[in-house]
Amino acid sequence: MVELTNRTLPRVFLDRVAACGDQVALREKDFGIWQSVTWNQYLTQVKQFALGLLSLGFQRGDHLAIISENCKEWLYADLACISLGGVTLGVYPTSPSAEVKYVVRHSDSVIVLCEDQEQTDKILEVMDDLPLVKKIIVKDMKGMRRYPKDIILSFEQVAVLGRQLEKKNPYLFLEEIKKGDPEDICIMIFTSGTTGPPKGAMVNHRNVEATTLSAAEAMAVVPEDTVVSYLPLCHVAEQIFSLYLPLFIGNTINFAESIATIQNDLREIAPSLFLGVPRIWEKLHSSITINIQDSSRFKKWCFHQCMAIGYKKANQLLSRKKIGTGLTLAWWAGYWLMFRALQNYVGLRKVRLSLSAAAKVSPEELLFFHAIGIRTKEGYGMTECTGLSFIHMEDDIRLGTVGKPVSCIEYKLAPDGELMKKGPSIFMGYYKNPEATAKTVIDGWLMTGDVATVSEDGHVSIVDRKKDILITSGGKNIAPSLIENELKVSPYVKEAIVLGDGKKFISALIQVDFENVGKWATNRQLAYTTFKSLSMMPEVTALIQDAVNHVNEKFARVENVRKFLLLTKELDHDDDEMTATMKVRRATIYKKFAREIEMIYKG
Amino acid sequence: MSAILEVNNLEVLYNNIILVLKGLSLKVEKGSIVALLGSNGAGKSTTLKAISGFLPLEDGAITDGTIQFLGEELTRLSPHKIVKKGVFQIMEGRRVFEDLTVEENLICGAYTQKKRSKMIKDMDKCFAYFPILKKRYKRLAGYLSGGEQQMLVISRALLATPTLMMLDEPSMGLAPLLVEEIFEIIRQINENEGTTILLVEQNARMALEISNYGYIMENGRIVLDGPVDVLMGDRDVQEFYLGMGHGNEQTSYRNVKHYKRRKRWLS
Repeated sequence: MVELTNRTLPRVFLDRVAACGDQVALREKDFGIWQSVTWNQYLTQVKQFALGLLSLGFQRGDHLAIISENCKEWLYADLACISLGGVTLGVYPTSPSAEVKYVVRHSDSVIVLCEDQEQTDKILEVMDDLPLVKKIIVKDMKGMRRYPKDIILSFEQVAVLGRQLEKKNPYLFLEEIKKGDPEDICIMIFTSGTTGPPKGAMVNHRNVEATTLSAAEAMAVVPEDTVVSYLPLCHVAEQIFSLYLPLFIGNTINFAESIATIQNDLREIAPSLFLGVPRIWEKLHSSITINIQDSSRFKKWCFHQCMAIGYKKANQLLSRKKIGTGLTLAWWAGYWLMFRALQNYVGLRKVRLSLSAAAKVSPEELLFFHAIGIRTKEGYGMTECTGLSFIHMEDDIRLGTVGKPVSCIEYKLAPDGELMKKGPSIFMGYYKNPEATAKTVIDGWLMTGDVATVSEDGHVSIVDRKKDILITSGGKNIAPSLIENELKVSPYVKEAIVLGDGKKFISALIQVDFENVGKWATNRQLAYTTFKSLSMMPEVTALIQDAVNHVNEKFARVENVRKFLLLTKELDHDDDEMTATMKVRRATIYKKFAREIEMIYKG
Repeated sequence: MSAILEVNNLEVLYNNIILVLKGLSLKVEKGSIVALLGSNGAGKSTTLKAISGFLPLEDGAITDGTIQFLGEELTRLSPHKIVKKGVFQIMEGRRVFEDLTVEENLICGAYTQKKRSKMIKDMDKCFAYFPILKKRYKRLAGYLSGGEQQMLVISRALLATPTLMMLDEPSMGLAPLLVEEIFEIIRQINENEGTTILLVEQNARMALEISNYGYIMENGRIVLDGPVDVLMGDRDVQEFYLGMGHGNEQTSYRNVKHYKRRKRWLS
């Protein structure tokens, strides 16, 4: 068990600044050039913004909402708010206005930090329903000259207010930090809300410290490790990874320009720690396989030869067999011929530790990366325990499992197989929702809602969400995510929703990958215009049938997808079919595609 | 109705390096007016040039896909053969022969017309559509006004009696009243002569008003297609092509946002 220092996060920050001073803390790409910020500058920014908030009337215990892509201002505002004893919460910048309204209103935020005009408009649109919001602070004021000046301030204006206050009272910032207690709530993280509206999980300083330190221990993070911040900071995993890990350990964070440019940014930064969600791994993987299809026959042949060697070595390593000299030599030949280039291509050649977390991933997906020499581990955690709680330790990688608990977590299985966790990182409850809290934390044990199994040597595997498990009319329990993830391994399948609760057989709704299937169709001279026309082509159905058959071979007969239907529309967050983190909202899908589902089971 | 023109998965490369069309497919039905809309650089003009065989002149080449006109393959035929098959493109920017008179310009258009009597009859028909051209009959085309030049190139196309007439930005650089007049005549030509029309336009509102079917192009691909009334009701089309803001009003420049709503092209 790691030792907790019982410091508040702002204290940890001050200690870090004292230790690292002029070293680089953050890098952000601005007009194509990486600009750096030292720890000292970081502190100045946080201090100014905190004092600025104070002069705007922000009080201890008040809530600050941030609606922005990842940027340094996000971190400044977050730490500033926490320093004053406030609570920060992030809202996904991709959220539609209604969802933004729900989160800001439910959280009783008094100040909202918006990235730009787009986010500000979302708030202004629903301003009448947000009586508690006093000020809107905007990072990028472009196009907002005519906006109401009484409630809208720029980020810079707040810093100016802060500087004025600092002149009058230079010790105010430190005094505010001293008032803090490690048991105070400091951040509120909204769950993605796959069922019902998002819930605000309250987390205190000690929770964050426990998770961060035990995660750092489990991953053996050193100060020289670099991180690229690109997943939304509203998510607990990214906050730990790109805000608190550097605070406690002293790493440098680099902000990717956007999720669209992540591959370029990764190549430039070549981080040594990388956290990817399954969707990112799937994307990297399919971009390699699709590009290989376009290359010359010789290159294709090389690729397949090298991959065969790669898979062989990866499998032997994973099953802890000794690698023979011949295979080692062959692998190094493959490395210089191809793996090195592939690693560079995905930007992960310098990666020391890469991790897949935030959702279940197919083992086959990760095996591909192992084969090209990127030994990706799997981790498991959740908002309610402030992030990471299980991970493959050191070299003990078992694909398909999530490894062993980090040192601050104890776990056990409930009689029905539900995973229960206990420890200092377990959250303080849902905001304004004591019933949900009472259902989630029972006698100090966190009910994860995930069904898990434990292998003889202590590796935990997550089967599925308890409420998602399907029971067919034959009485067979089936974990849909297992099948769905296998389907998504195909570069042609973007999304799959397995159905069959109370039915005779298992079926699936499948959304094809527009780009990859489009390319496939073009190569075969099949004419299509839009996503809809593409999905309706019989040839595409046949293509997906192949992918489904391939997956079916791996499962028992009862678990086979007997029928499937291609969605003629891409699932979207704006249409309420997905959460901000691109998780499917099953209930909405069942309702929205009721007719299609009926069609599957009728004939 | 059957499609007289079918473009399947067309891929066009300029200079062996610039990929302009990335698998474009569209169909034009007999007797219809089809609008092809899209922003600058989407590949609209390239599509027309590919159909009429002009690409080699600009170092472009069709690297993949097929173009079929009335069941015959047009891909990689030379332009004059394509004209003879009944496909005529009116190029962007009013390409009149400036040093020839109106009369001579029109005669050039009748290149495919063997019978002189038919040509004279056709010419009279043009003058019925555009009476002004008769007055300018002996003038040099270079001295005509922009609107008159546009009328002249349309007449020149009419004289070739095409089955499919393709217009590239007929409204470019013309006064709004003239644009309306020209579009009205395009509609009449389609109605009276039965000429099928494929129309490329920046002026989406005008184009959709006279068309039956529309395709919207972006980055060398079709992103949305449908009958015009469906397209007009689409939120993305309204905002990005018809300039309507939220709530069906025309957006004022003062309220223009610095961000764009994410386009999704739901069909």
